[in-house]
Amino acid sequence: MLLDIQNLTKRFGGLTAVSNVSFGVERGEIVGIFGPNGSGKTTTLSLIAGILKPTSGAIVWKDRDISTLTPFEVAQQGLVKTFQNPQLFPELTVVQHMRIACHLHVKRALGIGRLRTLFSGMPAELDRTLEHKIGQMLELCRLSSQRNDEAGALSYGGEKMLGVAMGMVCDPELLLLDEPASGLGHDEITNLDAVLRDLKSHGVTLCIIDHKVGFLGRLADRSIALHHGAVIATGKTEDVLANEAVVAAYLGKKHA
Amino acid sequence: MKYAIAVGLLLALVAPAVVHSDSILAIAIYGFMAASLAVSFNLIFGFTGQLSMFHAASFGVSAYVVTILVTTFKWNFWLAIIPALVVVMILSLIVGTICFRFKLKEFYFAVVTMAFSEVLRLITLNWNSVTNGSLGITVVDKPSIWTPSGSFAISSGVSWYYLTLALLVIVYIICHRILASWIGRCLAAIRLNDQLGETLGIDVFKYKLLSFAIGSVLAGLVGAFYGFYSGFVEPHYFSIPLGLDIIAMVLLGGVNSLIGPVIGALVLTALPHVIELSAELRIALYGSILIFVILVMPKGIVGLLTSRKHAA
Repeated sequence: MLLDIQNLTKRFGGLTAVSNVSFGVERGEIVGIFGPNGSGKTTTLSLIAGILKPTSGAIVWKDRDISTLTPFEVAQQGLVKTFQNPQLFPELTVVQHMRIACHLHVKRALGIGRLRTLFSGMPAELDRTLEHKIGQMLELCRLSSQRNDEAGALSYGGEKMLGVAMGMVCDPELLLLDEPASGLGHDEITNLDAVLRDLKSHGVTLCIIDHKVGFLGRLADRSIALHHGAVIATGKTEDVLANEAVVAAYLGKKHA
Repeated sequence: MKYAIAVGLLLALVAPAVVHSDSILAIAIYGFMAASLAVSFNLIFGFTGQLSMFHAASFGVSAYVVTILVTTFKWNFWLAIIPALVVVMILSLIVGTICFRFKLKEFYFAVVTMAFSEVLRLITLNWNSVTNGSLGITVVDKPSIWTPSGSFAISSGVSWYYLTLALLVIVYIICHRILASWIGRCLAAIRLNDQLGETLGIDVFKYKLLSFAIGSVLAGLVGAFYGFYSGFVEPHYFSIPLGLDIIAMVLLGGVNSLIGPVIGALVLTALPHVIELSAELRIALYGSILIFVILVMPKGIVGLLTSRKHAA
């Protein structure tokens, strides 16, 4: 198993945001985590990404507990997270964002040899590889035509796609997407759907949280439903969506 | 811009052949040293987004260490620079580690670094046996360089002019190389959105510390020379007004550029001499310029020049 979440619990003072959550992610699959607002989805993702530290429980990544690592160490392990509200580097263009996101690439490729680049500049071959990769990723995320635009000028959907593109250019083994579809229009969701399917066909493992059941239902191989911080259903996406407890959590008992 | 810088450097190189006035040379020498300080400060402030108030302290500590080693312990000047820079590096690593581990940002970072700076100033002021307290230390020695025809003391205005110009060029090139490398991208990420940078795998703490330490050590390098030109070191070197002067230079010249601080430093060093002003008025002028720049041209002189070019 690529990622194994074991009895994860997070308390903020008296509030238990995530309670005893356990699930796993296998390589190559798309796992959806859904639940209504306040069900602990984003907290779970932040715990995995190292932004928050769990109160108890373990996050095992390739047989190693990573729950004490800082966000950048988690990213270096191959787990990259995108943000619910698009996070950008103001002033910079789309392609400059992508170059910054290539940090881990350069680090992996050159290691301590990066010191030499202070005198000689970046090796031309690596530069070409990175530019090619950036071009490919922008193409995949439908951002090629805006590569030299200031990222702040992108539409909301474009900003979200840039987040996905930046995450992808890090070459993650697992990409954690925090509500990628929220705030997007119908066309943008169709576009995102296609992009994520493309990514899957490239062998990327995805963990997506969203409360848009329809969007996740089409995409996820397997789903986990959260409610009040606890797992209420898990299994194949269509089974989870049909689960009575899940329907009740979304629509209230009366409609279940 | 590249050509403008090259032409500027060329003019600076031939200037002493044309200009023979000692006072103008002295202004240029102080200007070059101020510019070196401003360029190194901008690595921390403009490019990493950390408002360090420790810069004057790095400058002062190094000036004192070199002076004491040379005057009291009779060290060779060039050799004395090494321990001075090591001391500055250790101090900046300590201060930086404390500030960045506690994730101090913006105003809080400025206040805490200012406090460290004050501690060092008070130590210098009160450690009479070593630093000679508020009187400071008079420096009579001059650094010398070895040439095939024998050792040559750097005492004339022209030799100091070229020495400090070389210092500025070295500091400028070091900062330029750093910013053009992967480190520059990491620093930009930290300045613009450190949380996003961290999720992309950038060790924010390490790069903040790196930028702070490099900038401080470069300030130390300037400090090493300063006392030997001016002829004395005094606790005033650590003072907050000196730190504010550096900020004013950077803001006036242009925060997000390498050449901006050089222009700002040269202008602000020359200005009081061009329009003769008393010390009190000089500070008032600095303050007014700072307010004017922040309100009217937030990208400084360089920003103004480049935006004109884009418009045209």
